[in-house]
Amino acid sequence: MIRGTVIGQVWATRKARGLDGQTLLLVAARDAEGRATGRLVVASDTLDARAGEDVTVAFGSGARNVLRPGPDNRDLLCDAAIAAIVEGAG
Amino acid sequence: MILGRVIGEVWATRRDTRLQRAKLLVIRPHAIYEPAFATRHLVATDDVDAGVGDDVIVCLGAPARASAGSNDMPVDAAVLGVVDRIDLQPDAMTAPGAAPGIKRAFDGIRAARGEPASSARRAPSREGSGTL
Repeated sequence: MIRGTVIGQVWATRKARGLDGQTLLLVAARDAEGRATGRLVVASDTLDARAGEDVTVAFGSGARNVLRPGPDNRDLLCDAAIAAIVEGAG
Repeated sequence: MILGRVIGEVWATRRDTRLQRAKLLVIRPHAIYEPAFATRHLVATDDVDAGVGDDVIVCLGAPARASAGSNDMPVDAAVLGVVDRIDLQPDAMTAPGAAPGIKRAFDGIRAARGEPASSARRAPSREGSGTL
């Protein structure tokens, strides 16, 4: 997973099957010191994250588990999903 | 997922049987993306009928195999959707610790979409055939 900040939303009417209603957010990745790395990722969001909030993003199969837990989620077209909204970090 | 623009289509008669009906597009990633990969162009399957000039969201890696509804597809990149609009949060650029990475990212998206720096909106367009 990576940490990042939500900086925007991507709107797409024409989407692959099963993704209707799915919110897609733009997340700017941050490094260990909290600085933005300049990398961007589009991530599915089920937690209702808002722009400006710090989040963690899960990639790959982990992202599918965020959207739908269990072994029967392999039909989901998703490689990045917001796994948590960060309130503080030590 | 990453953002990119469709710049072409691939035609192939001899192909894996599982790919027989798949439409293959050439896509140029146009943002700074994560996870990183080394190529400037990639070929992705398309289930959403994207066309040349469209901005698209591309799913990478193993989850892209879900394209065409089968987990045994020999696919590692699939078009997930066609971008209508990108809303960018202007505050994100001025937040503490945001610059310069986020500003670079903003500029990257806007430059790729041919937008002026002051506007995050995109006029619908299917201009040109792009250049490889």
